[in-house]
Amino acid sequence: MRPENPSQSDHDEDAVDDLAETAPGRLGSAIGPRGARIGAFALALVGVLLLARGVAASNAAVGLSEASSEGLSIPRWLYVATGGAAIGASALLAGFVTDRGFVNRVHEWRHGLGTRDRLRGVGMAVGSLLGALLIALIVYRGITGPQVSTINFAVVVVFAGGRAGLTMAAYAIGNPWPALNPFRAVTSRLPTGVVDYPERLGRWPAVAGILLLIWVETTTGVTNTPNLLAAAVAGYAVVALAGAVLVGSDAWFRNADPVSAFFRFYGRVAPLAWEDGRLRLSLPAMRLVEGWADEPRRDGGDGQTVDADDARLVRGLDDVAIAVALVWELTFSGFVTTEQGASVIRGVVGVGLPPILVYAVLFIGGFVVFYGAFLGAARIAVRRILTARTPRELVVAFAPSLLVIAAGYHLAHYFAFFLSLLPSLSAVLADPLSAPANPVVFTLPAWVSALNIVFVLGGHLVAIWVAHSTAYQLFPSRLQAIRSQYPFVFVMIGYTAVSLWLISLPSTTPAYLG
Amino acid sequence: MSDHTSAAPAGSADTRDAPEYVCDVCGRAFYTDDLLVLHRGVRHPSVLDEADRDAYRDAYAAEERAIRSFRIRALGILVLLYFGFLFLYVFYAS
Repeated sequence: MRPENPSQSDHDEDAVDDLAETAPGRLGSAIGPRGARIGAFALALVGVLLLARGVAASNAAVGLSEASSEGLSIPRWLYVATGGAAIGASALLAGFVTDRGFVNRVHEWRHGLGTRDRLRGVGMAVGSLLGALLIALIVYRGITGPQVSTINFAVVVVFAGGRAGLTMAAYAIGNPWPALNPFRAVTSRLPTGVVDYPERLGRWPAVAGILLLIWVETTTGVTNTPNLLAAAVAGYAVVALAGAVLVGSDAWFRNADPVSAFFRFYGRVAPLAWEDGRLRLSLPAMRLVEGWADEPRRDGGDGQTVDADDARLVRGLDDVAIAVALVWELTFSGFVTTEQGASVIRGVVGVGLPPILVYAVLFIGGFVVFYGAFLGAARIAVRRILTARTPRELVVAFAPSLLVIAAGYHLAHYFAFFLSLLPSLSAVLADPLSAPANPVVFTLPAWVSALNIVFVLGGHLVAIWVAHSTAYQLFPSRLQAIRSQYPFVFVMIGYTAVSLWLISLPSTTPAYLG
Repeated sequence: MSDHTSAAPAGSADTRDAPEYVCDVCGRAFYTDDLLVLHRGVRHPSVLDEADRDAYRDAYAAEERAIRSFRIRALGILVLLYFGFLFLYVFYAS
């Protein structure tokens, strides 16, 4: 089982093609000595294979540490360190790729799938009807259905369907929420915009909303009380409709609605997207590399101007906070559902603090630490290289790479969960109005949990490539581009270590909440 | 123009007052001449004349030398990492 991701090996194949023909176009690629590049790629391949051996060993160990106490195992610190080293080594390997032309071709590759505007219109209409129906059913069945989480339509559809399945679809295929969002479909037909959206709030309301939803999810018991979940969904619907009517549909769903922001950010990782009214395919996660040229960049081939600012996902520190929040929320919910995390919380509460306060401090404090680490990395990067760019420019430019990490974590936390609940999900969807008499839950083979390591590491590896490509957009000197990465790589190693440690721990219900 | 310096200035703090090399196409400022030359070559290749192009080639080649030394060091670190972890696994995996 190799930890590299499919897109990474695509790059290697492209690289071989790339060596066969001398790259035309940019001045840079014609000058680079060929032998050095071939050597570098050979080294890169050998390095990746060597790393794969180390990581494969830790896969086996984790499978064992969960399944039994006998036989071969490695200490947990060595497994975590191996993961960290894999990230560091791949960052060094990415540094070997210095051909701007190649880097640009990888993330600028697009394949048009044709203009199907009518299809899109019909899809949006059907999707929003479906979305409205689902929301209505969630609220109705949450209240009237059996109050047992494993068979209740509301709980199964929201968590197995939305939180796991739809989110996976958002980063693996394309963002489905704009089509499904019933509130947007309703409010865009109403007179809205009583007041102007206050621009200085930026997207901070969405940051607060995402953190609030995660907080509700982990601490209030909506996951096992269908009644409460129905109330929460109804509450969200009221807020979404009122907000959209108040400040206008576009402004609300772009700046303040947490669910739209959540899916829009994850959706940027996906290979499929509508660009300029056309459905286009790109390499996975490569749309995260945004144009950071100093003027609206002209894409070499078709001579089409990309308006850099409108299409950009991350424009300010508020967007950076959303990206960090997506990484942090998975780390947080991972931590509180492990035995070690629960015993830490029990220990702190034992001193005499109210549990909810402990959770709140951990949740907000951890987010601030993750956010601060990323900002600090940018500050150090600017200090280490001779550049007129500000730390703020750097965090804004590099924040999209965090989304691949978040997608990897999400897959690690929810893939097995989604698979095992798939029969329940299809049962409740097939017959929403009656509870399934005989709910089926798949029991997964042990190796599925070993996949989690691949997901976490894979996310980080792609993130390193995204950051590498972004650095080439930012800096004229290739050496500066490489050097700018060091602090961010250390932060990523920290995130990986924490996440690999968490997925290796046995899980339990959170203390004082279950 | 730029043949005597490498385009790999380490973060020397004493030159950090104000970037004085300004690109006349987009207005972005740089701390060294080499960085400006590289910037123009990468971002505005269409406005370069023959002299600019030569300067860019020189800066690019100088940077290529610096990158080669980075590659050697990076390779050294990779070898150390590999053998370091090999020995760690020999001792601790049981």
